[in-house]
Amino acid sequence: MADINRQTGAAGGESERAAWLAEMERASRAKQETFMNGIAARLRHPRMTSKPAQPVRGAPDFWRTFDWTPEERVERFEANWRSVGGHTARAKDLAEAGRFIAERAQELSARIIVRQDQAELASLGLESSVPDAEVSVWNADEDVAWKARAAEADIGVVIADQALAYTGTVVVRSAPNKGRSVSLLPTVLFILIPAERLGTRLGEALIPMDEGGRDALPAGVHFITGPSRSSDIENDLTIGVHGPGVVYAVIIG
Amino acid sequence: MSAQKGRATVKERAELALNDEFLVKAVKFTTERLRNGKKNASAEHGNWDEWRERGRQIRLHTIAHLDYYLNLFVENARANGVHVHFADKGEDAVAIAMDIAQRKAAKTVVKSKSMVSEELHLNHALEQIGVEAIETDLGEYIIQLAGEMPSHIVIPAIHKNRYQIADLLSEVAGEKLEADTTVLAGFVRKKLREKFLEADIGMTGCNFAIAETGSMVLFENEGNARMVTTVPKTQITLMGMERIIPSFEDLEVMATLLPRSATGQKLTMYMSAITGPKRTADADGPEEMHIIIVDNGRSLQLGDPEFQELLNCIRCGACLNACPVYRHIGGHAYGSTYSGPIGAVLTPALNKNVAEWDDIANASSLCGACYEACPVKIPLHEMLIYLRRRKVETGNGKAVETAGMKGFAALTGSSAAMKAALAIGKIGQRLVVRGGEIRTKLGPLKGWNSYRVTPSLPRRSFRDRWEKLNREVDADRPQMAPDMKRRMEQIVKERGKGGGGHGGH
Ligand code: SF4
Repeated sequence: MADINRQTGAAGGESERAAWLAEMERASRAKQETFMNGIAARLRHPRMTSKPAQPVRGAPDFWRTFDWTPEERVERFEANWRSVGGHTARAKDLAEAGRFIAERAQELSARIIVRQDQAELASLGLESSVPDAEVSVWNADEDVAWKARAAEADIGVVIADQALAYTGTVVVRSAPNKGRSVSLLPTVLFILIPAERLGTRLGEALIPMDEGGRDALPAGVHFITGPSRSSDIENDLTIGVHGPGVVYAVIIG
Repeated sequence: MSAQKGRATVKERAELALNDEFLVKAVKFTTERLRNGKKNASAEHGNWDEWRERGRQIRLHTIAHLDYYLNLFVENARANGVHVHFADKGEDAVAIAMDIAQRKAAKTVVKSKSMVSEELHLNHALEQIGVEAIETDLGEYIIQLAGEMPSHIVIPAIHKNRYQIADLLSEVAGEKLEADTTVLAGFVRKKLREKFLEADIGMTGCNFAIAETGSMVLFENEGNARMVTTVPKTQITLMGMERIIPSFEDLEVMATLLPRSATGQKLTMYMSAITGPKRTADADGPEEMHIIIVDNGRSLQLGDPEFQELLNCIRCGACLNACPVYRHIGGHAYGSTYSGPIGAVLTPALNKNVAEWDDIANASSLCGACYEACPVKIPLHEMLIYLRRRKVETGNGKAVETAGMKGFAALTGSSAAMKAALAIGKIGQRLVVRGGEIRTKLGPLKGWNSYRVTPSLPRRSFRDRWEKLNREVDADRPQMAPDMKRRMEQIVKERGKGGGGHGGH
């Protein structure tokens, strides 16, 4: 059942590597049986091979109907985002958002900007509005070391696939044109959130992940709730330890 | 190297820890903040007990059908392109990880926080074959430089001050770094960035594994777990066999309980669901992904009516923050990977060695605060009593006449207090049946005086007693250093304004 499109490509010793992986898989499958049988024996039931009825699944019932109005969602999302040290902005459309980002980029004297390869982000027009910066479009060119490019970028620009007000969380899904690195490696991150993608509860993003099933899932689904932070040194809050320290959520519409 | 790994008893280690004033202050300061953060977060969320019950039910169900759910996870993960491995013992997991590292001719491995890897002492093994294993979680990185063990599940470097940290990092930098948090964290960011980019392998733990899709889920605040799962070409994930939940729908409950219980956050800054290696056309993410499923004593709890619920633990650390003893003596005194109330039960359970670790079970007040704090309602306080009983039954109960023992004997003499103690702790029918002699041998108060926390055992709720213990511990609290106090006041002030957003990993 292994998907061919998920096959991995490495260079030298490819056949040796394949043989090693195949051998490991054989060992793993053999071990799997004894492992699972051992668990069943300890649990004192015959090995369970069909799905047991799950008496309790997911959030309590009262929670499932909980919903905020669109205005409340915006308000609560912004409040949550700011409370963890993030920044917020509103824009009536992409053009206005583009102007906002360009202004910030100029203020900060950004040299390199990386954005996802999406039509909405192209329409921001950063290529022309921030002439001093080099704007890279994720994975647009095979010869670029994209992870390194994102690591040296001052600014990353992504668009949210979904956002949730209750926790102040943005959801981004990976794809060939949407790098995981773009929301992670640059120092400053702009996340555009079309207002209609802003929901209330976490479950609104999680339950569809079950419904779509394994095949519909990208390699990475990332829930981002603010800037990278740590309190590991004497409980002193530090922002931007590994990920972006300055994170703008720009709600559009 | 780590002084905690000697054969000293918990009691001796506790005395060592207590000599270090900063540790005491830091532990109290942090755990208090986290504890209050948690109380606020759970109260603010509302219906906390319903959520806890939900969490407990999901975990109970999954563990009770673990053969089904784990197998389902494995099949789905394989279909996602993951290489899955099984390890009965810690050594097996280490051997698999080393085999992968050797095949990749790996020079460096970047790691994000993984309790399982700590449990296996994996870094040490990798070092032996010439592979540099770098902890990338800020706190873990610091204690790795110091050659120590983590002292708290959530905040591993809780026992180091910033001057000590500046000294450690200055050595790495080859120049004197200012003891300023921003400077220090900035140095680590730069240093580790180089490491992420050059590392051959990224190694992670696993907070939850989703059976129905074969995905693994990581919670973190710094972004280093994302780095580790995004940048290196090979990813190895170490996963305790019990980390499973059925679905993403169930993850909503765990994501509600875990961050609030751990740090008082609504959600950690990052929650990542990783489903297999990168897709062919993706430009980042690992090309090859391995998940090593580790038993290492976990299955011993399966089918054991007294300890099976241990496997429900979601490693939030709330029981540590709630525990008056932990807050007093700090994590290193427990001398093992898992500290606090959960460590007191889990360590002997995983080691299947009641005798060696029994003193750890005594480093607990039986006050029930751990149970009250636990987001999946694990009755740790009862388990501690079972542990002591088993110790007696296996003939390891040396009836030494310590001061604490005498105190306990005196208490058993006062029958009202003893009855209350029995009722509260549900010490169990066997104990009652065997009568007073055994009770004095068990001595839940044994050695207590040396921790300077004297549990009271009146007929009151756990909550009442917890508050009282808190007061006693707090009354004892050494004066805080002025700059630390200033920082704390600053934090409180900012929190009042609703800004800042403290809580952390
Ligand atoms: S026992 Fe409960 S409170 Fe303690 S770490 Fe585990 S889940 Fe958290």
